[in-house]
Amino acid sequence: MTSDTSLTPEHSQPSAPGHYSPFAHLTTPNAPLYRQVMRAFLAAKERFAVHLRPEDVYAALDAGSRPADLEAVTQALDKLVGWGNLRADPDHARVTAVEDFYRRRFIYQLTRAGEAAEAALGTYDEVLGRRGELQAVALHDIVTQLRALLVIAAEDEPDPAMTYVALSVLTARFTDLADNARAFMGSLQRTIDLHGIEVEAFLAYKDRLIQYLERFIQDLITLGGRIALLIAELEEQERVGPLLRLAAAREAADAAPEDAERAETVAYERWAARWSGLAEWFVSGEGRESQARLLRGRALSSIPQLLAVVRQLNERRAGRSDRSADFRTLARWFAQAPDDAARHRLWRVAFGLHSSRHLTVDADTLAERTAAPEPASTPWSEARPLRISPQLRRTGSYERRGRPRRVADRGEAKRRLAEIAARQMEETRRARDRLVTGGPVRLSRLGELEPLAFQLFLRLLGDALATWRPGTTTTAATSGDGSMEIRLTALDDGSTAEVRTPDGVFCGPDHLIDIVDLTSGQGDRAAPASAPVPLPAPRRDTAPQLAEDR
Amino acid sequence: MSGPLAEVLDGQRQADLQKAARALLKEPLLTADGPYADEFKLVRRHTAELREWFERNVGWTLRTDADAARLRKTPGTLTDATHPAREAARSALPFTRRRYVLLCLALAALERGEWQVALGRLAEQVVLAAADPELVAAGITFTLERRDERLDLAAVVRLLLRLGVLRRVAGDEDAYVSGSGDVLYDVRRRVLAGMPASLRGPSIVEAEGFEERLVEMTASTVLDSDELRFRAVRWKLTRILLDDPVLYYDDLTDDELAYLTRQRGFITARINELTGLVPEVRAEGIAMVDPMDHLTDARMPEQGTHGHITLLLAGHLARAAGAVEPAELAARVREMAVEHGGFWSKSAREPGAEPELVEQALDRLVALGLAERTEQGVVPRPALARYAVGEPVVRERGRPRRSATTEQPVQDVQPVQDER
Repeated sequence: MTSDTSLTPEHSQPSAPGHYSPFAHLTTPNAPLYRQVMRAFLAAKERFAVHLRPEDVYAALDAGSRPADLEAVTQALDKLVGWGNLRADPDHARVTAVEDFYRRRFIYQLTRAGEAAEAALGTYDEVLGRRGELQAVALHDIVTQLRALLVIAAEDEPDPAMTYVALSVLTARFTDLADNARAFMGSLQRTIDLHGIEVEAFLAYKDRLIQYLERFIQDLITLGGRIALLIAELEEQERVGPLLRLAAAREAADAAPEDAERAETVAYERWAARWSGLAEWFVSGEGRESQARLLRGRALSSIPQLLAVVRQLNERRAGRSDRSADFRTLARWFAQAPDDAARHRLWRVAFGLHSSRHLTVDADTLAERTAAPEPASTPWSEARPLRISPQLRRTGSYERRGRPRRVADRGEAKRRLAEIAARQMEETRRARDRLVTGGPVRLSRLGELEPLAFQLFLRLLGDALATWRPGTTTTAATSGDGSMEIRLTALDDGSTAEVRTPDGVFCGPDHLIDIVDLTSGQGDRAAPASAPVPLPAPRRDTAPQLAEDR
Repeated sequence: MSGPLAEVLDGQRQADLQKAARALLKEPLLTADGPYADEFKLVRRHTAELREWFERNVGWTLRTDADAARLRKTPGTLTDATHPAREAARSALPFTRRRYVLLCLALAALERGEWQVALGRLAEQVVLAAADPELVAAGITFTLERRDERLDLAAVVRLLLRLGVLRRVAGDEDAYVSGSGDVLYDVRRRVLAGMPASLRGPSIVEAEGFEERLVEMTASTVLDSDELRFRAVRWKLTRILLDDPVLYYDDLTDDELAYLTRQRGFITARINELTGLVPEVRAEGIAMVDPMDHLTDARMPEQGTHGHITLLLAGHLARAAGAVEPAELAARVREMAVEHGGFWSKSAREPGAEPELVEQALDRLVALGLAERTEQGVVPRPALARYAVGEPVVRERGRPRRSATTEQPVQDVQPVQDER
């Protein structure tokens, strides 16, 4: 399963494995950058992140000292790959843009040699990361030793020797556990990340992997919780401090007398650091997850990944024969087929993607046949043929199609509308003309009004009366559409006015009215005259009482 | 539960099952996010029953998973050339030799590839694969540098998109064809895995001859008992009836015919139950006809210019005594254009369009098992008679003809159905 060899970079294996080539980066001009990059990987490793993309590394670099662009980091990464400090694997993450697909994408991880170089550089005394199994026993041992410590701490005078031994064993077991867990998770991740892995190798590893994961998670959940409790119990009431001091004192006992004090301090600091390392491993603090928890999450999340690999492998194995070979064979056959007809036949047989194909029958024919079935021995030519609508036979369409319908001519309708509008305008104009008084007149002189003119009049009157307030004797108003003006003046002579319409008689107290058509251009005519004609004293109740006589 | 409610539910279930079966017969590869998502759900719901039916009655396997449902249809006859792969575009042109080869090479590359692929990368892999000496010997070379070659590849990819093997993520094929861009796809491996339909993978077929290869690809296990032989016969007959328009007794061997004669009622009833197709049994053969006019990719009668010409030519052919030369049919089309041309598309009325029209009509008639092309000309097959028109009858009573089509001469003589 050599999946896509073109993606495998030539430098995925360290070139020329010189014995100390992982140290080569120390002597180049760019050494500080390389050191930073490597530290980023170590830091990531502490978080069990094994693979880093260039962007991750870039982000992890100190803001102050990081290069201007990602490209420099990518180059540095490739250099480190060349020296064998890092390993590059094709990045299979899904992309959403064509350019990203073509960009050489790799994910990087520490090689063991690189890791060792870093470790050596940092401490000079650590060995290459061990690669072991998880020791469930280690967790049990830690529990045991913690319990022992609790017992010791409960005594009035803790025994230094016992304290020291218990703490030493605890430290040793814990160191083992942490290293192994780290190595294990690293190798687990590497395995899962390999997409093009050989099937057999994978399947062989799979069971072991799942077993590990099961046990690992189980232990971490059960024992990890218990350990966390024990640690909390010890840390309560400051019981740990004295124990650590005891152990430190014992360790410093061999030192020269003049160094004793300093040695004890150093030893205590070391023990305190170990203890806090242990505590941090199992106890989540504020804003910080315990390593155990991280590890657990990591292990849990690796199961779906593992399943994805299994599924992919299964899919590839689902075919009886090698499907890729099948397709290549088919390509040959298509090329060698004598003619297009043969190729179409081959297509049908090899892929079977065609639709089923059937003649149809219409409901009428079917009903007819059900009513009077044809004997099975009737030849087609003598059986009743299919009922096909003469319309379809004549025109090729079930609907009467004929000449394509022209764009509908709305001219007539438009003309009619225009006529109506014109008529209405004319009527309105006439009504207005009718109402225009050409100066103040008495309401009673208005005479008979056509319905349209009367409506207009009523509207005008309404507009005018809307401005009428008690005590008003004269008012002027403009109609809602601004086309007419009405001036209304109350008369105090008690006379009544009647306006006749075809529908009835409109009557009320007489008023003096002056209606002006503002649109007629001669509206100005009346304007100066608008000064109210001197009128008799206002009546108390000036509002005209209009009542329609039915 | 009993009573009307149970009956209604049962009827509903039966209708759903029928719908699912018809969907599968029409689109043997249904995807969950494809155009037939509803049908896909029905198929998923009735998978067990459908699988059992197809396994038992036609020996077709049905595989369903969350992404796709695939009915692997083995055809009942190997000689039918009327089901080509077609362009996914509207023109739906049949695939050419180069496109078929490209399609297979592309599938081979996808099969070995990753979850995503870019069209440019796929093209590179296809070019590599095309270096196969056997392909070169057959005269096939691909460089995919010329525009028409890239068009071919784009057509192949579009077919795969339609089938749901690929899903476009970014870009479009036109840009690739014009050389200005590229396209990124997700490969849906499970749909891809469902592509081949043959019982035996071609890579394990050893036959050298074309026909033998087809036979070997579809051959089932050794038929060493009567029971197996009968089953093979039943499968073949059911496959033809289920998948093809007409089964002619002529095309069967004696054994097959004998079996069919005995089992006809049973087989057609089974098909009717699953699909709602109705048997039209005649002296010359059986057609499972579809009252719903849906389960087909070629219709007759059909509206539109081509459907109309096909129908008219069918009438003409049905009356013909024997083989008819295509040239004669073309002349007939020219005559018909006088009478009916007003209803046709403009391009169909143009002089010189006749041979092309005749070809299209004949393609359809052949595909529907209604005619046959021979050396002598086109020979009508018996079922064509179902479209025959009786002799023109002169209508005595002058029906009021409110003809909206005044440019048509008013005819006194009108073809009517022969009401025998």
